[in-house]
Amino acid sequence: MQRYDTDTNRNKNVEDFQMRDELIATLKNRFTTYGYRQVRTQTFEYYDMYSDIIGTVNKDEMIKVIDNTGEVLVLRPDVTIPITRITAANQNSNDFNQRLFYVLDVFRQAAGLPNQKESTQAGVEFFGENTPEADSEVIMLAVHTLKDLGFKNFKIEIGHAGFFKELVQQAALSEQELDHLQTLIQSKNLAEIELLLNDLPIKRELKAAIQSIPMLYGEPATVIQQAEKSILSNQMQLVLQNLIDVYKVLEDYGVEDYIAFNLGLINNMNYYSGVIFQGFVDKIGQPVVMGGRYDNLGKQFDNAMPAIGFAIEVDLLLLAIEQQGRATSGDQAIDVIVYYTKEKQKEALTAASELRNRNYQVLTFSRETSSLKELTSRHIVVYDTKENTLISNDKKQPFSKMNEMTSLLEDVKGDL
Amino acid sequence: MQSITLALAKGRPAKSTIDLLEKTGIHFKDFHEKSRKLVFYNDDRTIKLIFVKAIDVPTYVDKGAADIGIVGKDNILESQADVYELLDLGIGKCKFAVAGKEEQALEQSRHLTIATKYPNIAKKHFDKKGQSIEVVKLNGSVELAPLIGMADYIVDIVETGNTLKENGLTVLEDIEQISTRLIVNKASFATKSAEVQQLISQLKSALE
Repeated sequence: MQRYDTDTNRNKNVEDFQMRDELIATLKNRFTTYGYRQVRTQTFEYYDMYSDIIGTVNKDEMIKVIDNTGEVLVLRPDVTIPITRITAANQNSNDFNQRLFYVLDVFRQAAGLPNQKESTQAGVEFFGENTPEADSEVIMLAVHTLKDLGFKNFKIEIGHAGFFKELVQQAALSEQELDHLQTLIQSKNLAEIELLLNDLPIKRELKAAIQSIPMLYGEPATVIQQAEKSILSNQMQLVLQNLIDVYKVLEDYGVEDYIAFNLGLINNMNYYSGVIFQGFVDKIGQPVVMGGRYDNLGKQFDNAMPAIGFAIEVDLLLLAIEQQGRATSGDQAIDVIVYYTKEKQKEALTAASELRNRNYQVLTFSRETSSLKELTSRHIVVYDTKENTLISNDKKQPFSKMNEMTSLLEDVKGDL
Repeated sequence: MQSITLALAKGRPAKSTIDLLEKTGIHFKDFHEKSRKLVFYNDDRTIKLIFVKAIDVPTYVDKGAADIGIVGKDNILESQADVYELLDLGIGKCKFAVAGKEEQALEQSRHLTIATKYPNIAKKHFDKKGQSIEVVKLNGSVELAPLIGMADYIVDIVETGNTLKENGLTVLEDIEQISTRLIVNKASFATKSAEVQQLISQLKSALE
């Protein structure tokens, strides 16, 4: 038989989907408790919108579609940009505050991974405020969410787009050198950073400062102390102060244990403008959460506005939960099964409707026509020709009227 | 204290790495070169050592099956793993180079065919130069390809250059220096920071 799977995504069977749905429900619930409201963006976006914005989505990774009119569209490769576009178009006053969240599929095709085209992201965007309080609230929300999911050993690494940017500005590197340096810093490749810098005509103290960046990592107080030695301009002092301010608020949230500073965190530099962060859980080498402040994006839609947000990779989180052996929700039993004989059909189906109105999950089976399989349910209701019985907790209780049965059920529920 | 899994490439670099670890006071008393065992523990069982094929070390680390890996830069480059590369152990030094027949210069304009065991590295190198190439992936005896006309040039690891010379080939262009590196899973660096950093600083001081 030909195989028609176009995607290697997991979550193929019903149980996987239940688990995924539970996870998403947990995320949505937590986002809501911080005052975020859910939004959705369209699946098709203009290719031009993404290709005009530098430093976000790799053009080659987007999945393009051509519509009837010849317009080139892409399947939504990211959610932040369209949400920013919509918010920029709808907000006229400077004084607004908007907290939005989404759970949406994004589509990208990375080179060498032809079978991983879609993934689900759950993310938040907070528009309208650039303060350490806003930054730390968003980071706190990421911590809170990972805690909700039962992760114990995780870390949110916090860095700042401005620190490295400011340093390399003084070094006047060519685009190629900068690219190379960025790759080396991201992989904390100290040996090769030294080699690269030795070939460049830059001052010794600047060299030392750039070299120190990858190891400005770990416990915030220590990193702050070490980073002060690398401060070469007022701007850098401001950046460091910003990080200190954010961390102070996080201390008051009481989540210091989950926080590490990583000033070598410099991904998507053209996009992020302030605090950047990413979250790691045990055993998963890629970040499960990525976010940061991107105050400059609104400008590209003619409406400058402060913004910070993050996105959670839902599929990666599921993988992490599976690997840590915390697969939940083995409970597939439904609430009530109703068996009935033909003469009692009307009575039985009326009872089933009533139970469903009361939010019980109900399956009904006719004795005569259905081939009975072993099914598990918490309660069994039997409408036999001679009598009606409710079986729960191995206890048989006869009843005549539906009201009796429902109140019996309520009683059992109360006992549990 | 959380335990750490260390992935080592089988073969030559393994011995020198174990020696280096011994120098830092980390002993694997069951280990000897002839052993066929693939898993070893140090004395207090804080470090689990696993032996895997060199080319797989970056994958083990990238996927989090190992926290730390010690492996040649050649394999890190080829695997394109997203890991931290924190230390150059300075052993197993050699280089990646483009080689061809002795009388030949490296052509610039024409579409070239390159034979190599390392297609990603070859592509990346020629991409950077704006040269379009076709890669023929081989698993050994790469030197043969230009001689029998299967490829114009080869991209390979060059240590002494003797194998090239004996086959009438010569280095035409250096690509990158190679040596044994220590790589770390990005999540392990965050969640087992103290343990990982301690091992690294031990190794560093042993190198000095």
